[in-house]
Amino acid sequence: MSGAVLKQQQWWAHAALVIAAFSLLALMIGLAVSIGEISIPLATTAKAVSNRLFGSVFELSRIHQGIIWDYRLSRALVAASAGASLALSGAVLQALLRNPLAEPYVLGVSAGASTGAVCVMLLGFGYGVLSLSGGAFIGAVVAFLLVAFLAAGAGGSSERIILCGVAGSQLFNAVTSYIVTTSANAEQARGVMFWLLGSLSGVRWPDVYLVVPVTMFGFAVSLFHVRSLDAFVFGTDAAASLGIAVRRVQVVLLGTTALMTATVVSMVGAIGFVGLVIPHAARFLVGARHDRLLPATMFGGGIFLIGADIISRIIIPQQVLPIGVVTALFGTPAFAVILYRARRTA
Amino acid sequence: MRKFLAAIALAFGFAGLTAPSLAATQYPLIINNCGREVVFDKAPAKIVSIGQGMSEVLFSLGLADRIAGTAVWVGPVLPQYAEVNARIKRLADNDPSFEFVVGREPDLVAAEFEWHVGQQGSVGKREQFAELGINTYIAPADCVAKINADSGDGVRKELFTMDLIYREIAELAEIFDIKERGDALIAELRQREARAVASVAGAAAKNLLVVFWFSSKEVNGDAFIAGKNTAPAYILKTLGAQNVVATEEEWPLVGWETIAEANPAVIVIATMDRRRYAADDPAVKLDFLAKDPVTSQLDAVRNKRFVMMDAQSMNPTIRTIDGIEILAKGINSFGLAQ
Amino acid sequence: MSIRLEDVSFAAGNSLIVNGVSLTVQTGKVLGLLGPNGSGKSSLLRLICRLRKVRSGIIRLGESDVTTLARSDLARRIAFVEQQATTETQLTARDVVRLGRTPHRGVLSPLGVKDDAAVDEALSRVGMEGRATQLWQTLSGGERQRVHIARALAQSPAELLLDEPTNHLDIQHQLEILGLISRLGVTCVIALHDLNLAAMFCDQLAVLQQGSVVAIGTPQHVLTRDLIGDVFGVQAHVETSPIHGRCNIQYIIA
Repeated sequence: MSGAVLKQQQWWAHAALVIAAFSLLALMIGLAVSIGEISIPLATTAKAVSNRLFGSVFELSRIHQGIIWDYRLSRALVAASAGASLALSGAVLQALLRNPLAEPYVLGVSAGASTGAVCVMLLGFGYGVLSLSGGAFIGAVVAFLLVAFLAAGAGGSSERIILCGVAGSQLFNAVTSYIVTTSANAEQARGVMFWLLGSLSGVRWPDVYLVVPVTMFGFAVSLFHVRSLDAFVFGTDAAASLGIAVRRVQVVLLGTTALMTATVVSMVGAIGFVGLVIPHAARFLVGARHDRLLPATMFGGGIFLIGADIISRIIIPQQVLPIGVVTALFGTPAFAVILYRARRTA
Repeated sequence: MRKFLAAIALAFGFAGLTAPSLAATQYPLIINNCGREVVFDKAPAKIVSIGQGMSEVLFSLGLADRIAGTAVWVGPVLPQYAEVNARIKRLADNDPSFEFVVGREPDLVAAEFEWHVGQQGSVGKREQFAELGINTYIAPADCVAKINADSGDGVRKELFTMDLIYREIAELAEIFDIKERGDALIAELRQREARAVASVAGAAAKNLLVVFWFSSKEVNGDAFIAGKNTAPAYILKTLGAQNVVATEEEWPLVGWETIAEANPAVIVIATMDRRRYAADDPAVKLDFLAKDPVTSQLDAVRNKRFVMMDAQSMNPTIRTIDGIEILAKGINSFGLAQ
Repeated sequence: MSIRLEDVSFAAGNSLIVNGVSLTVQTGKVLGLLGPNGSGKSSLLRLICRLRKVRSGIIRLGESDVTTLARSDLARRIAFVEQQATTETQLTARDVVRLGRTPHRGVLSPLGVKDDAAVDEALSRVGMEGRATQLWQTLSGGERQRVHIARALAQSPAELLLDEPTNHLDIQHQLEILGLISRLGVTCVIALHDLNLAAMFCDQLAVLQQGSVVAIGTPQHVLTRDLIGDVFGVQAHVETSPIHGRCNIQYIIA
């Protein structure tokens, strides 16, 4: 009797948690739409959203309408999706590679994206056909494939995969530096390094239609593999002895995280910290079992990145701080707190 | 241009007639330049010029025959100097190496920016040149009230004015003992400035909001626009117009929300040959402004009040005068000066 | 027979690690694998549960060739306890044992009542039921080993493979675990270092030297002074113990 009641209670508790998470996400999106570089009264914001969503006809400055709907709302949705993707990728990689310091860029994806972007920018690859984002995406995929190829050849254990990722990243970073240094443009090379800090400024609705489905796809695939992710905790042999198809799971999950990360990086640059810290925070809150960890990580990542984006837009008046600076600035102390409390319980 | 050359000839003529007693430079000459005392025993015979702005000032002073090499070119040289420039060895379009520069055996290295020759100079430190007996001169516009500590464009604490360029011209004229040429050049530039100001003297030009858009990393993303103490800000101040931002950074990255809210009356669009970012292309910039749901609603975009200006006029060089003239012409053409 | 190896060989790179090994394990019996380090014991265990691929030879579980079994069927049937399996993740002992139920659940179906019961039973069999909610990191080496064994038991296996499971245990727990294993009624293959414990708890022993089986049979049959001297390089005196009736090896130090 008590077993069944307990299960029901648990179910209600889970449902409440999920509703709370969605509410928090909605609240953050609301905040992101209302707060920005210029102050727009809340009533105006509500009217603007209502105009587009419900077809009402409130009288509004078209500039304000455009800012709220085309700039801020699309940006908030991309921030949520990007944060969720990065955090989810981080959690999956930390489980697969059995390394608490694993994060989405460990397989060379962001280094490859920089190289791809630089090739389009400075060498004019695919001029007219390929946009900067397109070039970055291709670069990211090429880098990942190279790293995967190296890792497979080297045996495919977690340590080998990480080492190959490091090697791949270094290689592509070197290629990027080479191209930048030898390009015949008389300007400081600072602009190219924007990939390292990330920026959500250029996103519009078409980007939303791309990144949200990718995030959903990644979530579905990862959720399908929660058992496998749990089973990897003692290594590939232990997982295999529990009946997990290790090689297949590695290929599918690594490929999925690479796809999510490449999409995010090519769209908004390499935003650091989210993929590393949020999974740990989520683990601290809901535990290490992946059926709870993955959703918690996604919500955490989305909420965190929206918050970081809001801060990046208001912290310096009339200027936008690169979002990577904000994620590091606010993520580091948060992480220190998590580590400290975890040390005490362990 | 011809008038200018005539003025020079005249000045030479007079110089030849009168004894050049007061106008001559007394050597050894000590100049306090960007926090360093530089001693000149005589007029330098061989110069390496790093920075297009610096090179063009030297050309304007008629010193082309003393230049042994140039480097750092953002775009084509001013047309009137194309011929003399073609005869001078170009060391690099970008940053030259230290060895390459000293290999030309100059006795003076003149630099436009501290980030090329300075404490964190990518070409070299001033001490390195001094050890080899080479003097260095840096454009005052880059070090007076400007902090170049980080790797960006730096932060300017006081408004740039053409006085900094006139100072550069005067100091160089003194170093090379060509004071008359220097004075004549300064006089001509001041004249052009005054004429441009006069052409927009109407009250409506006062407090006109103008934004200078240099480029953007992503077309849709935040824009590099001119800060409050830059050369473009000086252009605006001279013409009595106003900038949309008040930050001291040279080229801050600003979101379109802020620019849109300010609703500038005129948008100055930088034209350049560089195509590092897609937004370097002025056509791309215009296309964005027309198609973006927010910017397409701006007055300046609706009424097509765009002024196309060469990016080099937005740098603190003698071309800033060109910038003043171009913007003045633009304001007049939009009928905003009445 | 529960497990049968027919002329199995395995190589890693160029070195032959397992060389033509043939042996059988009777259903419900415990086979002890003995041999110095590098004799191929660990590799042999991994071959049996198909964690590595044989180069030649056939391994049979019951009547089926191991290579023909589906992965999940294999995992439901045979469990493997590694020598040392560690993790930094904050898991409780119960979480670890629950992993053992993985092959019995579908991809998305949650663990049911039967699974919980199996977990509880496994924990109590290794004597860890009171510590189920303790974090993995706070357990001692021996306790962790017991939890690993519980995880293997939670798999409800028909065959159990253990690679030196008593390495980190104190003597009380060594005896406890080995006693538990010998009473399980499950077919076991267990790699051991301690000759006396092997003699006490195993029904059969197989001695490996450089990848080949040099002796196989009951402990009395296998553990002779000559074999011990030959394979392990130590002098020993073997006699039957009056206490438990099994072999007792006394080492002679020169």
